[in-house]
Amino acid sequence: MEMMNELLEKYFRGETTLQDEKELKQYFSTGNVSSEHEIYRALFDVFRQELSETNVRPVSVALPDQKRIKRTWIQTFAFTGIAATLILLLWIQLPQYSDNYAVIGGTRINNAEYVQRYTEKKLTRVNHMLARSMKPMQSFSKVRKNMQPLQNLSDVRTKMDEIQNKLQFK
Amino acid sequence: MESTQFNTQILNHSDKLFRLAKSILRNADTAQDAVQELIMKLWEKRKQLDVVENMQAFMMRSMRNLCLDTIRQQHDEDELPVEFEYVEPNPYQQTEQKDLALRIHMMIDNLPELQRTVIRMRDVEGMELSEIAYITSLTENAVSVNLSRARQKIRDQIINEQKKVEETVWK
Repeated sequence: MEMMNELLEKYFRGETTLQDEKELKQYFSTGNVSSEHEIYRALFDVFRQELSETNVRPVSVALPDQKRIKRTWIQTFAFTGIAATLILLLWIQLPQYSDNYAVIGGTRINNAEYVQRYTEKKLTRVNHMLARSMKPMQSFSKVRKNMQPLQNLSDVRTKMDEIQNKLQFK
Repeated sequence: MESTQFNTQILNHSDKLFRLAKSILRNADTAQDAVQELIMKLWEKRKQLDVVENMQAFMMRSMRNLCLDTIRQQHDEDELPVEFEYVEPNPYQQTEQKDLALRIHMMIDNLPELQRTVIRMRDVEGMELSEIAYITSLTENAVSVNLSRARQKIRDQIINEQKKVEETVWK
């Protein structure tokens, strides 16, 4: 009791150590408090009560970590690149189910082999027709070839004129 | 300082910071705002925090300074006195404030800012005098003086109230 009185006096003078104050807190937290000290029990209860008070609003940092931003951007770029590559590969690899057809004589033909044979046949005919049309042209070239000596005649004539001119002067 | 380190070293002290802010500002909402503001400021300067030796003391000091700035700003805007002395409750208030613990809580709240900060840091948080001296920018001796004054004031008020209660009973 006497010791507790001294300790309390020291406490109110601000001379107690943390260990002394711990003892006082323990003393007042038990049900074994002397009646003359009962008056201070509420004071130590308040200290204990206040220590249990917490910040109910969660504290958060609104600003994102710079490193995390960089990582996110790198990841975003990587994922975008991978996704684009995959789409491209799929587009190349997948069979093309396109609606390719030809219209022959007003009829829609989906059989590619038939269309190919039909086209070849028609092209052969066009080739024959062209060859026949070009025949007169071949004759023209023959005529031009045969006319070649006639062109030399004009050269001979020019030379004869020159010689004649020379002879007249003399 | 990395974000995980920041979380463990700083966000874990948020309750302690809140109690200090509430003690100075005497308002839970304003105290919560102040804690959030401090955390944001510390986050912005997290690269400089690596050199801090006693993180708890540094944060408590920053918290106190921020709260005092808030009080000064409020004082400028509202032109209200920052501190007010403890006024004993009238009989009507006394019957309303039956709880002695609540009255003691008010007694501490009505101490001058420095005294209530010092008494709470010591008696609630259990901090060393050297830490309190750093947080309050005082010498250890000045902290001891403020602590004893605060405790003595509270003791006197408790004794006075007890006397009044006894007088009322005997009448």
